[in-house]
Amino acid sequence: MGSRASTLLREEEIEEIKKETGFSHSQITRLYSRFSSLDKGENGTLSREDFQRIPELAINPLGDRIINAFFPESEDQVNFRGFMRTLAHFRPIEDNEKNKDHTASEPLNSRTNKLLFAFRLYDLDRDDKISRDELLQVLRMMVGVNISDEQLGSIADRTIQEADQNGDSSISFNEFIKVLEKVDVEQKMSIRFLH
Amino acid sequence: MPPKRKKDVVIRSEDVGIEIDAQEDSGSEEEARRRARNRRAKPSPRRAKRPVSDDEDEEEEEEEPPRRKGRRGKAKVQDSDEEEEEEEKKGRKKKPVKASNRKKKAVKEESEEEEEESAEERGKNKKRGKAPSKKEKEEQNKVKKSGKDKGSEKNKRKNSGKFSRCSILSSGSGSDSDSLSEGEMELLKEEVEEKKKLITTLRNKPWRMKRRLQQLKEAQAFVEKFEGALGKGKGRKLYAYKVMMAKKLIKFKRDFENFKTACIPWERKIKEVESHFGSSVASYFIFLRWMYGLNLVLFGFMFGLVVMPEVLMGLPYGSIPRKTVPRPLQETAMDLSVLLDFGGFMKYSVLFYGYYNDERTIGVLQFRLPLSYLLVGVGIFGYSLMVVIRTMARNANEGGDGTDEGDFNFSWKMFTSWDYLIGNPETADNKFASITTSFKESIVDEQENQKDENIHLRRFLRVLANFFILCTLGGSGYLIYFVVKRSQEFAEIDQDNLSWFEKNEVEFVMSLLGLVCPPLFETIAELEEYHPRIALKWQLGRIFALFLGNLYTFLFALFDEVNAKLENEKSIKNATITAYNEYYSNYSSFYNTTDVPPLDIQPADAIRGPCWETAVGIEFVKLTVSDIQVTYLTILIGDFLRAVLVRFLNYCWCWDLEAGFPSYGEFDISGNVLGLIFNQGMIWMGAFYAPGLVGLNVLRLLSSMYYQCWAVMSCNVPHERVFKASRSNNFYMALLLLVLFLSLLPVVYTIMTLSPSFDCGPFSGREKMYEIVMETIEKDLPAFIGNIFTYATNPGLILPAVLLMVLALYYLNALSKGYQQANLDLKKKMQMTRDEEKNRRNNKDSTNQVMKDLDDLLPNRSLIPPPEEEEPPPPVAQKGSKSPKLKPGSAANGKGVNLQKEVSLAATNPRGVVNRPPGPRGGPPGNIRGPQPGPGRGRGRGGPSSKAIGFIRGC
Repeated sequence: MGSRASTLLREEEIEEIKKETGFSHSQITRLYSRFSSLDKGENGTLSREDFQRIPELAINPLGDRIINAFFPESEDQVNFRGFMRTLAHFRPIEDNEKNKDHTASEPLNSRTNKLLFAFRLYDLDRDDKISRDELLQVLRMMVGVNISDEQLGSIADRTIQEADQNGDSSISFNEFIKVLEKVDVEQKMSIRFLH
Repeated sequence: MPPKRKKDVVIRSEDVGIEIDAQEDSGSEEEARRRARNRRAKPSPRRAKRPVSDDEDEEEEEEEPPRRKGRRGKAKVQDSDEEEEEEEKKGRKKKPVKASNRKKKAVKEESEEEEEESAEERGKNKKRGKAPSKKEKEEQNKVKKSGKDKGSEKNKRKNSGKFSRCSILSSGSGSDSDSLSEGEMELLKEEVEEKKKLITTLRNKPWRMKRRLQQLKEAQAFVEKFEGALGKGKGRKLYAYKVMMAKKLIKFKRDFENFKTACIPWERKIKEVESHFGSSVASYFIFLRWMYGLNLVLFGFMFGLVVMPEVLMGLPYGSIPRKTVPRPLQETAMDLSVLLDFGGFMKYSVLFYGYYNDERTIGVLQFRLPLSYLLVGVGIFGYSLMVVIRTMARNANEGGDGTDEGDFNFSWKMFTSWDYLIGNPETADNKFASITTSFKESIVDEQENQKDENIHLRRFLRVLANFFILCTLGGSGYLIYFVVKRSQEFAEIDQDNLSWFEKNEVEFVMSLLGLVCPPLFETIAELEEYHPRIALKWQLGRIFALFLGNLYTFLFALFDEVNAKLENEKSIKNATITAYNEYYSNYSSFYNTTDVPPLDIQPADAIRGPCWETAVGIEFVKLTVSDIQVTYLTILIGDFLRAVLVRFLNYCWCWDLEAGFPSYGEFDISGNVLGLIFNQGMIWMGAFYAPGLVGLNVLRLLSSMYYQCWAVMSCNVPHERVFKASRSNNFYMALLLLVLFLSLLPVVYTIMTLSPSFDCGPFSGREKMYEIVMETIEKDLPAFIGNIFTYATNPGLILPAVLLMVLALYYLNALSKGYQQANLDLKKKMQMTRDEEKNRRNNKDSTNQVMKDLDDLLPNRSLIPPPEEEEPPPPVAQKGSKSPKLKPGSAANGKGVNLQKEVSLAATNPRGVVNRPPGPRGGPPGNIRGPQPGPGRGRGRGGPSSKAIGFIRGC
């Protein structure tokens, strides 16, 4: 089972990650090799620069936000455990998981946690609310200079107006959930990790 | 699952139960400690409070990652036996809890008894099968043990009774070659065991019958599916194989989907255009692609059933007069100018109607070419009609469900527009452009919605605009009429005296009108201030009317010509017959014999009629070709040259050309769509007279796709007000349908009323074209079919049939109206529910109490094992873990339901989660907003029931 990778990755560690994230053994080793290939400094942790080398993230307007999501607050290195914990959000919800989780704690890849992950992408200052300014920043990242500021402002206003329910002119997580109620988040926020 | 298998399962679990004990005996000290600890930890959920004295346990637990439900389940089960004893000792802390617990226990015991019974029943034959497997298990057990010794502390923990049982069951678990990893295996096993238990104890569960049945079904299906994983040897291999195949199948399906997407022609091109120019421009290209597909099928029909048989099996060129160029024309027959005019060899080729022979059957296959010709000619219409209507129906369906998504239009665009899998910078650019465009589209829509100005002024302007347009249309109609009249006068004068302009006046005026009127309409439409989407439809409709006028003027002129030709033909025919008769009489009188040899004339020298069908075909082909030329030239000059000039002259010009007057061209959607539609009308009309026209059209559409894609990407700029095309382009389709109908009319008219030429085409010599069908029925089909046909065409039968159809139409119409009404009602209801919910959420503090009370009133709530809602950890447990996300504001906001949710959501820190007692945990978080039991009473009930599940859960 990935003999090369497991020399660096202790079995106990794999077990722990398995428990925490629900990945299978082979997935973990596979992701570990990916992790080490990303790790240019070869110090067992990833820095922001390492992530920015991934083309998908480099061209993504929200790439920086996604990279930030990998890092715990006020740290700029992430180890394999943290890496896996973030990736676990994107683990598809399997059929046999759907109906068995009554006793266990909510897994990282549950719908709510997936949504929370997405929510944090937009919540720049981590105050659990998406404010108008945050929306504007994200919008500017997404459309660049092609739309005038005024129009962007009206888009942001409209978005908040649509989603806001308690009248605090910002979007809370509950409201965020409500907005994306009909979106198939379970499916869309899932990556097919190879087994 | 058949009962037999169920019992089998029971026995096996019994069997294994023995092993557990043995295993537990060999447990280490560590394990004992754990058990002891668990015993202490367990009661905590029932008390709804975690004893503070459990500090050391907390510490210990914090060391290990907590999120493993499988393990938790195991731990729970492990101590469940002890727990029971413990409860006995501890006495009754909470009576209701105890009672329900008791019940569960009783249930469990009962089921155990049952199990034993069944075990004894089937003991004999089972034991034979069991013995070897037992040995195997023991062997594996040993292996496991040896491995365990080396393992770390964590591994030891796992080797508590339940775990070893699991690993025993899975022979050789953890081997690398397995398609399932060890962890998955465990989970699966646990699950299967749980389900089996559920099946056996289901009868005793105090649930409603419906629920029981449902659970039973689910459980059985699950066990059926995954039982193989628990088996050994063959079963296991089979299972592995099955899993592998399932995975392969999924992968194959995925690949196939990708392949299918890749097979859609020009998808990338169109997406690129769409991302830069918006969905409205893209809708033209999609329409073009659809048209191409349709024409490809038509071409297949025409080519496969008419052209190819004639080429392969018919008489070769030069064998009969109709397949030969007349002698006077032969010298110029290969001149390019003649060929470009579709004269010479082109005229006497397979491309046109006149070339086809009227032999009833040709070749060794006895192919009935004339019949095939007629059927294909009509079939093209039939097929097109069917496809257009089907597409319209499908579009209508698609349009139906998209109406209610307007709720969170901007939010969705905001949060879900980026495709996170894009890795290619170019694609990313496109995506940027398309997001921008879609935002712009939404802005336009929004602006239109919010507009409310002087309604009277607007109305007046609209009436005025329509008046202008009607004037324009009327004027152009009169102009065409006038020109056609004049051309008829000119036709009587000698052709040589006419100037070039006078000869081509009709075409010239038509092109001029087509060129001038659409921009005029557009200018007038500015007055109306419609939403661009609606304005486009108006524009389309108006231009459509204009084009239609042109087309029908053209057709009437053509029919005049045809009638003249028919007259001419009659005289030629008479002359030919007279000549033949003369020849016969002269010959017989000269040689004084009745045995007259047939007249030996070279095919090229034969007298021939004008063959009006070929003439019509040539007209259509010419028209199509000139249409292609005009379209391509317009693009080349109007778009490309303009773009080049604007681009390069801008360096040395006195004003800004790009922003100022000429600027770059915009893509003219309405003109292009209508051009396409009318072109298709030409094809439909002309295909009967010129089978080659369909092939020509396929080439045209193909080249036009690339050419226009290139032109639009390189020379055009997006519309100032990008707007979103309506999701279903049924408007285009409706226009197409109308054109189809209008082009059907003349063709059917000629088939039914005009008599075909006497010396050319597949129907020559017959009075009417459709007679070929009668002939076939009479000669080739058995007599009774002819009879049936005679009866079927009887007016007495046709009238009732028509009546029936009208009735069916009426009925279906009424039905669809009823459905529509029901649909509307449902929508209203949904909206109402949504509003209600919103209201409830807004003042949830007041309603929450009510909900809670209602909750308490629900009788069997405590007995339903899996609480759907998310159970929050008790507040005290949160003390250990920090919950920084919990803000005072939000807490005040949602004291009841909201608070719990926030807390549980905030606890992403895994350590915090460990502190939770193994009480009921969040199931599928789907129904978050649903009523949740309050922390106090709800929890009190939640504990035991969940324990019961844990108990049932087994492995």
